[in-house]
This record gives sequence, C-alpha cells and structure tokens, in this order.
Amino acid sequence: MLILNLLILLFVPFLMAGVIKKTKAFWGGRQGASVLQPFYDFKKLLKKDFVISETTSQVFKIAPVISIVTVLFASLFIPLATGSALINITGGLIIFAYTLSLGKFFSLISAMDTGSSFEGMGASREACFTSIVEPAFFITIASIMALSGNYTFESLQNVLSNAGSYGILITIFAVVVLFLMILIEGSRVPVDDPATHLELTMIHEVMILDNSGSDLAFFTWANSIKMFLISSLIAYMIIPQSIAEWAYVLCYLAVMFVISVLIGTIESGMARIRMSHVFEFIFIMSSLALVVLALVTAKMFGG
Amino acid sequence: MNIFFIGITLFFISGFISALFNEKYKIIVLSILNSIASLLCLMPAVNVLLGTQGMNKIFDFNRLFGAVNFQIDMLSAFFIIIICVISTLSAIYSKGYLQNYIDKGKNINSHLIFFPILTASMLAVVTCQNAMMFLICWEIMSLSSFFLVIFENEKKDVLKAGIKYLVFMHVSVIFIMLAFAILSNEAGSFNFSSFAGVLNNSEYLKNIIFILFFIGFGTKAGFVPFHNWLPDAHPAAPSHVSGVMSGVMIKTGIYGILRILALSGTPTKFISYTVLIISLITALYGVMYAITQNDIKKLLAYSSIENIGIIGTGIGTGMLAMAYNQPVIAILGFSGAVLHIINHSLFKELLFLSAGSVYTKMHTRDIEVMGGIIKSMPKTGLLFLIGAVAICGLPPLNGFISEILIYLGMFKSLSIHNFSMLLLMLFAIACLALVGTMAILCFTKAFSIMFLGMPRSEAAENIKKDNGISMIIPMIFLAVFIFLIGIFPDYAFSLILRPVSIVLGGMQFEASEFMNTVWVVKIVAVFAAGLLFAIVAASLLKIKLTKNRISMHETWGCGYNKPNNRMQYSASSYVSPFLSMLTPLFKKVFDIEKPRKLFPESSHFSLQIEDIEEAYIIHPLVKYNEWFLSKFELLQSGNIQSYIKYGLIFLVIVIIGSLFIGK
Repeated sequence: MLILNLLILLFVPFLMAGVIKKTKAFWGGRQGASVLQPFYDFKKLLKKDFVISETTSQVFKIAPVISIVTVLFASLFIPLATGSALINITGGLIIFAYTLSLGKFFSLISAMDTGSSFEGMGASREACFTSIVEPAFFITIASIMALSGNYTFESLQNVLSNAGSYGILITIFAVVVLFLMILIEGSRVPVDDPATHLELTMIHEVMILDNSGSDLAFFTWANSIKMFLISSLIAYMIIPQSIAEWAYVLCYLAVMFVISVLIGTIESGMARIRMSHVFEFIFIMSSLALVVLALVTAKMFGG
Repeated sequence: MNIFFIGITLFFISGFISALFNEKYKIIVLSILNSIASLLCLMPAVNVLLGTQGMNKIFDFNRLFGAVNFQIDMLSAFFIIIICVISTLSAIYSKGYLQNYIDKGKNINSHLIFFPILTASMLAVVTCQNAMMFLICWEIMSLSSFFLVIFENEKKDVLKAGIKYLVFMHVSVIFIMLAFAILSNEAGSFNFSSFAGVLNNSEYLKNIIFILFFIGFGTKAGFVPFHNWLPDAHPAAPSHVSGVMSGVMIKTGIYGILRILALSGTPTKFISYTVLIISLITALYGVMYAITQNDIKKLLAYSSIENIGIIGTGIGTGMLAMAYNQPVIAILGFSGAVLHIINHSLFKELLFLSAGSVYTKMHTRDIEVMGGIIKSMPKTGLLFLIGAVAICGLPPLNGFISEILIYLGMFKSLSIHNFSMLLLMLFAIACLALVGTMAILCFTKAFSIMFLGMPRSEAAENIKKDNGISMIIPMIFLAVFIFLIGIFPDYAFSLILRPVSIVLGGMQFEASEFMNTVWVVKIVAVFAAGLLFAIVAASLLKIKLTKNRISMHETWGCGYNKPNNRMQYSASSYVSPFLSMLTPLFKKVFDIEKPRKLFPESSHFSLQIEDIEEAYIIHPLVKYNEWFLSKFELLQSGNIQSYIKYGLIFLVIVIIGSLFIGK
C-alpha cells in the first residue's frame, strides 16, 4: 500500500496536469497532447543544461530543490489513495502548512534573487495572496476539527457521515473552499493564467522565468504536487470510508480526474480576472471559510 | 547563590574596570570579564533548572526596606540563562561593531559602563522577591538602557528617541508602583510571597492588580497600544544594544507578567480573554507595520512587537485554560510562550547582529540602497537567512516548535465546550496563521532586498569583504542554538516544562493526557531532523551534480539585454499589493513632486508609513497635554527661591495630610 501511495504521489500530479491540458484542448476543439506530456516534459527538462543569471547567488540554485523536498515532506501528513496519512498526528495541519511555507519562502527569495522586475512582481503578488489564503484554510479545517473533537486530518472524513444535514452543508462549503485554494495556490485561472505569454500578468509563472533545466522541472512538479495534495483532501472528505480498499483507490482516482477536468473546464470557459480584483476573488474563499465556521458553531451550539 | 552575587557584582563593576584600559583592549577586557561573570551566574541557574529546588538568599536592609529576599527558582533560572548568554554574546560582538566609532575618536566609556550594568540589573530584576528592591532594579535597568540608546547622542533624532523611551518607561513604572503599593498595603509587607494570599482573596482586586501590572509590564514588553517606544528606540541604539533590548530586556516585562501569574494562581476569565485578545492584536499590528518598514532595524523592532504578541497569545491561551481548569492545554500554551521567549531572543539577536554587521559596512539602515550583499558578505547573509527562516516560524528551525505548541494548545481548547471560547480560538488560530504568512512576506522582503539581486547603490557595490571573526562567532553561536532547538525539540520541551510548572502552581493532571503531546513533539523532532537532512543533502548534491552544466547569462528582461540595478523590484514595490489591500490601517504620508515642464528638471516620490497609534492617539494626547500644562506657566518663574517655596508648601501639605489621613 505504501508503494501504491508513493507511485500515486509521484505520477498522478503529472497526469492531473495532463488531464487539465487535454480538457482545455477538448474545449478548444483541438486534439491536444497526450496526458503523459507533462511527464515527458519533466524527463526532458531533467536532461537539459542550465542557463543561470549572473545576478543570482547560491539561493537561486538550491531553492528548486528545497521546494520539491518540502512538498514531498508535506505529503506525509495528507491521506492519499489508501485513505490514511503516513503520519497521522494532532497538529498535522500545522506541520503540513508550515512545511509548504518553507518551500514558498525559498521560491520567493529565489525569484527576488534574479534582480528581475518581473520576478519581483510575481513574488510580491504570490506572497501577498498566500497571506490571505492560509488563514481561510486554517479556519475551515480547524472548524471541522472542532466539530469532531479530533485534531488530526482524520476529522475530515467523519463530517459527511456523522453530522447529519449539517454535515452535508459543511462538506459542500469546505470542498468549495479547498477547490478555490487549488485554483489560487496552483496558480490557475481565474487567479493566474499558466498559459499566458505576457510576463506582466503572471504570478507563479513569472517567478520561475529565469529557471531552466531541472530547476524549472522541480518547480513545476512541486506546484502540481501541491495541487494534488489539496485535491487529496477533497477526495478524503467526500469518499466514504466504509467501502473496500480497491474501490476506495478507484474512487480516489476518479475524484482526482473530476477535479482536473473541472479545472480545465474553468480555464476554458473563463478569462483571468484583473489583477486588482484577485483580492476580491480570494476573499470569496475567506468568506466561505467563515460560512463553514458558522455552520460548525450552529451545529455545536444551535438547538 | 553566593556565586551568583559575585557574578552580578562582577557585571556591575566590569564596565568601570574596562574603562581604565587602553582604547585597544577595553572591549576585550569587557568581553572577558562579562564571560566570567556570566559563567558565574549561569552555574547556579543551570543547577536550579536541572535540579529540583530553588535557591535563595536574604539580605537584611533593616531600616530601609527590611529583609530582601533574592531567589532563583526555575522561572528565574530560565531568564538568567537567556540574559547571560545574549548579553555576553553582544559584548563580544561589540568589539567589531564599535571599532568604527573608536577609529573616529568617539569616547565609548559610558557605553562600556552602562552595558554590563544593564545586564546586572536585569539579573537582579528576575531574581528579586521584594517589591521595593524590584522597583529599584527595574529603574536601574530602564536608565542604563536609556544611556545605551543615546550612544550616538550627537544626532538629534537619537536623543529624541531616547527621551521618548525614557518617558514611556517612567509612565509605565507608575502603574507597576501603584500595583505594588496596593498589594503591599493589603499584605503589610513588600515580599512577593506575602502577595499571594492577598491576590487570592478577592477576584475584584485580582483584576485591578493584574490590569495595572499588565499596563506596566506590557509597556516594557511592547504590547499594543503601549508599544510605541520600540520602533524608535531600537533603530537609535547600536545593533548589539538593540539585540539585548529586543532579545532580553523586553522579556523582563513578560517575566513580570509570568511572575504575577505564578503568585496569583488561577486568573479570572475576564483577564484571560483580555490578554489573549490584546496579544492577537499586538501580533497582527506588529507584523503589519514590520512589512511596511524600509529601515531594517525599525522592521526588526516591529517584528519584536509581533513576537511579543505571539508570546502573549501563548500566555493568554494558558491563562484561559487555567481559568477553565484544563491543565494540559495550560501547559501547552505556557510552554509555547516560554519557549518562544528563548527562541525570539536567539533569532532576534541574530538578526540584529547581522543587520548591524551590514550597517558597519553600509553606514545606513535603509534597505532600499542595499542589495547583492550576500556575494560580498556570504557569512552574514547566510546567518541573516537562518534568522529570517527561524523568525517566520518555519520548520526545521526553532520558531516552528514554539508556534506549534501554541497552536496545539489552541486546537485542544476547541474541545472546551463554550461558545465564546470556540469562536475566539478559531479566530486566534486564523490570526496566528495570518501572522505567520505575513511574517514570511516581511522577511522575504528584508532578506531579498538586502542581500539578493544587484547592488542598489555604490556603497553596496563597494563592500569588499565580510566582517571579522569577533562579529561572526557570536552569530554562529546563536545559529547553532537555533538549529539545536529546532532538531531536538523534545529535549527543549522537557526543560521548558520546569519554569512552566512554577507559573502553573499546583495544577494537577493525569500523565496519560499528556502523552499525546509528548508524542507529537517527538514526531516533530524526527520530522525536523529528516527535513533538515533532506534539504541539506539534496542541495549539496544538486550543486555538485550540476556544476559543469551551467552557462551564465544576464537576467531575462523580455529581450532587453542591459538590465541595471534600478530596474529591480524595490522593497516598497514588493509590499505595495499588501499596502493597497490594507489601506485604511495605515497613515500614508506622500511626498510627491511630479515631473513638470517639457524638459522636467526635478521630480521625486516618497512614501512614509506612520504608525496610526502615534498619529491619532499619541500626538493629540501630547498636544492636549501641552495645552493643559501651559496654563501653569505662571508658576515657572525661573528663580530658585520660589521653587524652594513650592517644595516647602508641598512638604507642609504632605505632613498635615498624613496627620489627618493616617491613623
């Protein structure tokens, strides 16, 4: 089972990126590349040499590695395909979020290291947006934890079955919050457009403008793993635990597929919102997190 | 205990001794004497912390204030260790830092004298058990640090900052005096041990006393809204003094609060909620303003306010848990707070010292003119980076450990079935997360603008080499401790429990309830070690493997091939999305001269962020006060006879008054 989890962790993020691209191709009326294309890209990038800016220091060289290491370490705390996390402890949420933040810290300073105004712009936006996303994420998960009285990620799976009609509502809102978080943290439309070609309008892509070779590969991979981990939380919330193990894995993969298709569809159907309105979009996530909080308190203290 | 007093005395006189020596050897003598003195003080402190019982010594000043008890219990021992370590490292560091000033012919004797006196007085403050003596030591501490702040007293703004600091300290000490006066009047003695009974008598008295103490000690610690002196005093002082002030001196305020808690037993719910809410506001306020600052030491000062807020959040969580009788949560909250005290001392001192190291080369604190320094000062840069990661509370370093303990306390408090508690704690969790991410914004800005990119000015370009060994060694020492606490949190946690037990008093709990937490800390230890190992190994491996596959080129500029240093993102632009998001919370002062005419001759733009508390509360207050006091100008005749007359009238009133009011 451990090996299955590891395989899923290593390959599903690529597949998700592939499915998103395929969906966009479908809506665009194109054939599109194979769903394995992100993986081929990754392999090719690993073989390539580097072009590095003269301005940079060692920070620029180690940041991609730190980014991928932190994401992999953070994944230890998230329940993957087998329905349980490798390390399941109280406070797993905090370790998960802070470990990801360490990676983010280094990717921010590596972007600033190039001395490029574009990358500075990207770093500045990314830092600012994350600072509002994280509290909303914490409120959502902490409220659900308060409801079940269990302060591990395990609390997420009991909500749907144990909390009655409130449970359904809470699950719906929490899933929406997490989905918005995927869009924001994964730098997808409508917050950021990974396929845009204008540096001024990018967030995440512009931060890695100067990265090449395996550096670029690592950053891209880390980003898709991050999306994959949050998607896993969604899957964990909605798949019932009572079903057989093989069925669980299938359901899990199906949820991943649906999320990817959804992201692809949104990207095909929507334009990126104006940069000055991104805050408003992120505040939607915060307010939905507050709705989760309200529902939890209503469930715990209401009549 | 006698050794401890020899140590304090040595601290007290070491400045005078070193002042006698030749310019060249002064600071070396001071460092050696301070090292010996701190070893002397550390021995009994470590003994107490690792042993089972405290030590005490009673001095009899029979006429003046009776028997004065000095006591080292585990709480004091903990603070003694921090004070000794941080002050001594600062003294060693000052050798390199003050060299510039000595070369310019500045007389540093007063600095050398007051620096160890500050240490001695802090040591006395944390061991003294008598209200009268406590106030005297407290005052010596405030005054000696005042003289340290005005080191560059030929500069006008330094003097101004120093006087502001002095005023704040003296207003705050009134509250402490008042609280002590009420307590000693009720108890009939100045000894702390006699206060415990009085405090437990009435809830009403407890509330009042605690609020008075909280204002008094909170001003020292820098709680909002009493924080205003910090962002002025820290930049004015030399870097190692800022390090000591921010690292340990403001913690004496926290010590005061913890000591009162230890004496007063279970706090009331009202106070607990107040402390938690004020602390959350403090943390948010501090980090918000830290982000906006471009003066590195001002930024660090605001970040101290933030960290005091985090410490306060831990204390508040612990107090609430005590009020609701939940010992396990109380332990988590307090141990997070106490651990954060030592953590903050370590990384804030490290940050101040490395910022000072840059200052000795750049002679400015404005980060907008720095940049690219990591290439000319790699050691300082790396040390600052370690401090920055630690202060953001990121694993695998020490800041993470204290924050996770506080978080755990908060999460567990969610299970106390109480509506207001639940809401407050959920918001507190979100606040702490917000503070954490904002700290990342703040310190990625500070680090990357100072050390990365291209040099933004000639001064930054002209730095030739890193600072010498006397400045680097103390910083390395601090960094090592930061790593040790980060990787062995289980050991640190078990040590921290000892001072925490003093604060908790006699709360009982089942050991089994506590196992879960110990387990979590152990997992965190393994995790942090693994993470650190993986990061270091992977980074080294990557650098080694890719060494021969790199070709250099200039930064991508959309096809533009001649990027220069003015095209980089600046500190102000880095935070501008953040500023625009929180516009109403800042007072922005623009100074704009737009380019006019066909061939513009001059234009400039500058943006200053002012503290809203200072702009909207302190300034109006000072203005009204001035107006009010100007009504008494006629009393100020300027001739000495009339002043003697006023003194006489005052004495007569006091004597007559005491005849009527007294028994």
